[in-house]
Amino acid sequence: MANPAAPSAEPHRPSAILATLKRLGFGVAVAVPDGWLGEILVRIEREPTMRLVRATHEEEALAIACGTRLGGLRTAMFVQNAGVLSMGAGMVSLAQRYQFPLLMMVSYRGTVEDPVFYHAPKGRVTEPVFKGFGLAYARTDRNRPIGPQIEEAATFAEEASCPFALLLSREDVQW
Amino acid sequence: MVNSVRPSRADYYRVLADRLPTNALVVTALGNASYLWAAMHHTPQNFYVEDAMGLALPLALGLAIGQPARPVVVVEGDGAVLMHLGALVTVGAVGPRNLTVLLIQNGVHAASGGQALTNAALDLAQLARSAGIAHAENVTTPEAFASAMGSATTGDGPQVLVLATNPDVEVVRPPIALDPVLTKHRFMSAIGAPRYIPILFGGGGLERE
Repeated sequence: MANPAAPSAEPHRPSAILATLKRLGFGVAVAVPDGWLGEILVRIEREPTMRLVRATHEEEALAIACGTRLGGLRTAMFVQNAGVLSMGAGMVSLAQRYQFPLLMMVSYRGTVEDPVFYHAPKGRVTEPVFKGFGLAYARTDRNRPIGPQIEEAATFAEEASCPFALLLSREDVQW
Repeated sequence: MVNSVRPSRADYYRVLADRLPTNALVVTALGNASYLWAAMHHTPQNFYVEDAMGLALPLALGLAIGQPARPVVVVEGDGAVLMHLGALVTVGAVGPRNLTVLLIQNGVHAASGGQALTNAALDLAQLARSAGIAHAENVTTPEAFASAMGSATTGDGPQVLVLATNPDVEVVRPPIALDPVLTKHRFMSAIGAPRYIPILFGGGGLERE
């Protein structure tokens, strides 16, 4: 819980994520929530210029995102890293094979900062699996504002015609 | 259950080609769903999904969201839909009025040679209704399909039509190369989708040409 009396040295990073997506013209977000993503998805749902699609599974979410992008909408995904682990076939045979530019906002569970112990096995394999998929990705830098990092990721996805995963810490994305 | 008196996929495709609105977009699943449709009715407004089994339906859902003014028809197989049953739930929740789902129920995994399904006798229309898609029916003849298609593309969807079909495990040779990136660019150009315009050293955005 933030102390309202304490001045904040940095803008609220989840708010900056939302503001950046709006500024860049993202019209739709496709998501499967986790504990860190829950509130930002509610905020997206309230945005008049964005549409949130809640999918039942991350591979399904990936295909929906490919479809919205095919239809001309700039599209972001919000999923947990475990969800990327479970979408491997769709990642390589649909998103990468057809070269869909997608911005994947991925909550990075199972790092040393994550208090939930059972996420650890997923955290340990996340980046090796991403490399195995050939999935372009970056971890956010907590010493930089989040907005430009999102713009760089979104630009990379478009200019390389591929999905790009931005691995988010809790302070980045939990509202 | 599969039996020999069922119509063929081609019987239904002839009706589909005849009843399809001129501005409709068609997404076809892997195997003969795509190959036969390309052979019978190739247009730039077709998006052929190769491989990615079970993902034609959710992709078409996204397309229906992105192109709300156009009817979107997706041809998916019974085996494929079983792989991602959750997509039916999402279609029911989103409720895109412009989406028509044609489920080819041939009782086998035809695209991979005709292997048995986990359950070939499911009432897929009932399953779709339970998933929140009010307009869902089982269709057993091309004539009934023609009648159903008449109302399927009027914007009152989503609608699911389950087409009882004989298995067609003989692979149809498509008349065109189904290069995935070419398919995508041809499709997006045909529908006038905005394309990404880069700005040197500074990102870019989607713009219509």
